[in-house]
Amino acid sequence: MSHFDIERPIVKLPEQQPEQQIPDEELVWTDEEQERIEERKSKYPDPKSAIMDLLWMAQEKYGYLPPEAIRLCANTLDMDYARAYGVATFYTQYYKEEKGKFVLDVCTCFSCQMMGGYDILHYLEEKLGIHKGETTDDGMFTVEEVECLGCCGSAPMMQVTNGPYVHNLTKDKVDTLLDDLKDGKMPPFVSVTLPQDEDEMGGNRRSDVEATETYQTPPRSEAVK
Amino acid sequence: MELTNGATKAGDWRNYERVLLPPIRDLHKLEVYENEANGYNRLRDVLENDDWTPESVTNEVKTSNLRGRGGAGFPTGLKWSFMPEPDDRPRYLACNADESEPGTFKDRQIMEYNPHLMFEGILIAGYAMQLDACYVYIRGEYADWIRHMEAQLQKAYDKGYVGDNIMGTDFSMDIVLHKGAGAYICGEETSLMESLEGKRGYPRYKPPFPAQKGLWASPTTINNVETLAHAPLIIENGGEWFANTGAEAHPGPILYGISGHVNRPGVYEYPTGMLITDLIDEVAQGVIDDKGIKAVVPGGCSVPPLRGDGIDGVTMDSESLQEAGSMLGTGGMLILDEDTDMVSYLRRVTHFYQHESCGQCTPCREGTGWLERIVTRIDEGEGNMRDLDLLLDLCDQMEGRTICAFADAAAWPVRNTVKRFREDFEAKCKPSVHPTGADLSAAGATAA
Ligand SMILES: Cc1cc2nc3c(=O)[nH]c(=O)nc-3n(C[C@H](O)[C@H](O)[C@H](O)COP(=O)(O)O)c2cc1C
Ligand code: SF4
Ligand code: FES
Repeated sequence: MSHFDIERPIVKLPEQQPEQQIPDEELVWTDEEQERIEERKSKYPDPKSAIMDLLWMAQEKYGYLPPEAIRLCANTLDMDYARAYGVATFYTQYYKEEKGKFVLDVCTCFSCQMMGGYDILHYLEEKLGIHKGETTDDGMFTVEEVECLGCCGSAPMMQVTNGPYVHNLTKDKVDTLLDDLKDGKMPPFVSVTLPQDEDEMGGNRRSDVEATETYQTPPRSEAVK
Repeated sequence: MELTNGATKAGDWRNYERVLLPPIRDLHKLEVYENEANGYNRLRDVLENDDWTPESVTNEVKTSNLRGRGGAGFPTGLKWSFMPEPDDRPRYLACNADESEPGTFKDRQIMEYNPHLMFEGILIAGYAMQLDACYVYIRGEYADWIRHMEAQLQKAYDKGYVGDNIMGTDFSMDIVLHKGAGAYICGEETSLMESLEGKRGYPRYKPPFPAQKGLWASPTTINNVETLAHAPLIIENGGEWFANTGAEAHPGPILYGISGHVNRPGVYEYPTGMLITDLIDEVAQGVIDDKGIKAVVPGGCSVPPLRGDGIDGVTMDSESLQEAGSMLGTGGMLILDEDTDMVSYLRRVTHFYQHESCGQCTPCREGTGWLERIVTRIDEGEGNMRDLDLLLDLCDQMEGRTICAFADAAAWPVRNTVKRFREDFEAKCKPSVHPTGADLSAAGATAA
C-alpha cells in the first residue's frame, strides 16, 4: 500500500454465501428478550424503527453480527433483510466480523492526537504484536483506532468493547488495564470530575460512583501522528 | 435555588454562579433535584399557572435570545415558532445528544450530572410546542450514561413528571431514549431523524423542513441537550435575565469544553462572550510548560482554526468569532501550542471527515477522500506547492454543493488551515521546480 491509498470503509460483498456461524437452534430470542423487544417496539409509531435496538441486542447475545443474526432481527420486525443489513453496515459500533474478547477502541481524534493518542495506539500494537484492526491469536484483544469519543478533556483515552471509558492514558495505565482484562476484570465506570467542582466542592459530586478521577495533564507526547 | 448572578456580563465571570451544573452534591438524583434545585417546579408553574400558555412560553424563550448550542446557533424561540398549528398528526421533539463533534464533551456533563434539568427542559419545550413525545438520540458510545439516564427517567415517570397527564393536568408527553451506534453524521438533524426511524443515517433534502415533515412525516423540532436544559432556567428567571447574561447577540450561560495543550482541560460553565485569552490563561490555567499558542480551534473540529497571534480581544460569541474568521460552533475549544505541526493536525482532521462522510453526495464522498490523500502526501514530504492550491480548489468544489452541511464543515478547516498556516505546509512541500528545471524555492516563490 502506498501512502496515497487510504483505508476506505468498503462493504465487502461475499463471493459466496458465508457459512452459517450460529446454529439454527440458537437463533431464537429468550422470553426475556422477547419482552424487551415488545417494549422497544411500542416506543415507536413504526415498530421497524426498533431495528437499532434489536441489532444491539443481537450483538450482545452473539458477540457480533453475522448475516444470520441480522436476518433474525429483520424477521422479528417483519422487515427486509436488505434493509436490516443496510443499517448494520452503516454504523461502526455494530461488529460485522468476530472480534476479540476485549475490543480496545483508542481515540486518536484531534484532541487525543495532540495529547499522545497515537503513542497509546502504537504502544498497544507493539505490546500485543498486532496492527490496528487486528485481533491477537488467542482471541483476547482487538485494537482499533476510533474517532472522538466525546471525552477530550481526559485525553488520551479509550473505550473497552463499547462499554467503559478509560481516561488520561499512559503506558503504565495501559499495562495495568491489559493485566486486569486478562484476569477478566473490566474497568469500572469512572466519573470525570469537573474542574469547577474540584474548586467549589472538593471534587467528585456523585456519591454513588466509587472510582473518581480528576483531569490530569498526561506527559506531553512528542509524536503527533 | 437562589440565583444571584442576575446580570452577569462576561466581564465579571469570576463571580459567576453556575446554573446548568450548580454545585449540588448528587444533583442527578431526583430527590436532590426536587429539594435543592427547584426541580420540576418550573414545569409545574408552566402547567398550572394560567399566565403561561404555549405562546407565552415560546415568547419568553424568544425574549431570552437563546441560540442553539448544537453548533449552528439558530435562535431557539424562532425555531419553536416554526411548528405548524396542531392537526391530526402526532408532533415530536428530537433531542440531539449525539455529541460527536471532535473537541465537544459538554452535553455528557448535563446527562451525567443534571439529567432531570434536561428532562424538565424537554417537557417545557413539549408544552410550548404541544408535542406528544420526545426522542433523545444518544450516541452509542455513551452506553454507561444511557443506563444512568434510563434509571433517572424511570424515576421521573414513577413520580408522574413524564408520561400521561403530567402532574394531574391534561398535558401528556413521553420521553424515549434511543441509542445510536457510532456515526458522526447522525448529529446532523435530518440524518438523526432517519436513524431514529431505523434506517441508515443518510441526511435528507430540505425542504421539506422538519417542522413540516420530520420524524415519521410528522412535525418535528430538533434541539441540542444544552439548548433544552436552558428552558427551565429561562422560565424561572425570565428571558430578560438570560438575555442580560454574557454577550448581547449570543447570550446566556454556556458550557465551554477546553482540551488540548492546557494545564487544566475540562468543561466549564460561564457566560458567553468571554475572552479566549481569559479562558486559556485563567480558567484552564495556561498552556502546558508555558509555551506559546499556535492555534485555537474555538468550537469543535468543523470550525476554522484561529492563529494564536490573532486571539487577543476575541470573545466566545458568534459575532466576535465571525469577525475573527471563525465560529462558536459547539464551544468545544482545542488549544494547540507553538510546537504543533499544523499539517499533521489537518491530516487527522481530514481523516475524520473521510471516515465519517455518509457517501450520498459525490463532492463530499470523493472530496473528503482527496483532501485526506493530498494532506497526507504533503505530510509525508511528497507534496508540492501546487497541492496547496489544489486543496483550496477542492474546497470550492465541495462547499454548498451537497445535501447537508457536512461537506462545508469538512472544507472550512482545510481552507483556513492552509491559508492561515501556509508556512507549515510550504515547509513540508518539495521545492518548486520551474518547467525549465530551475529551482525557484531560493527566489522565494510560493507557488509553482
Ligand atoms: C455534520 C453535522 C453534525 C452535527 N452534529 C451535531 C451533534 O453531534 N450534536 C448537536 O447537538 N448538533 C449537531 N449538529 C447540528 C444539528 O444539525 C442541529 O443544528 C442542532 O442539533 C439543532 O439544535 P440547536 O438548535 O439546539 O442547536 C450537527 C450538524 C451537522 C451538519
Ligand atoms: S454532504 Fe456528505 S455527509 Fe452530507 S449527505 Fe452529502 S455525502 Fe452525506
Ligand atoms: S478527541 Fe479523543 S475523546 Fe475527543
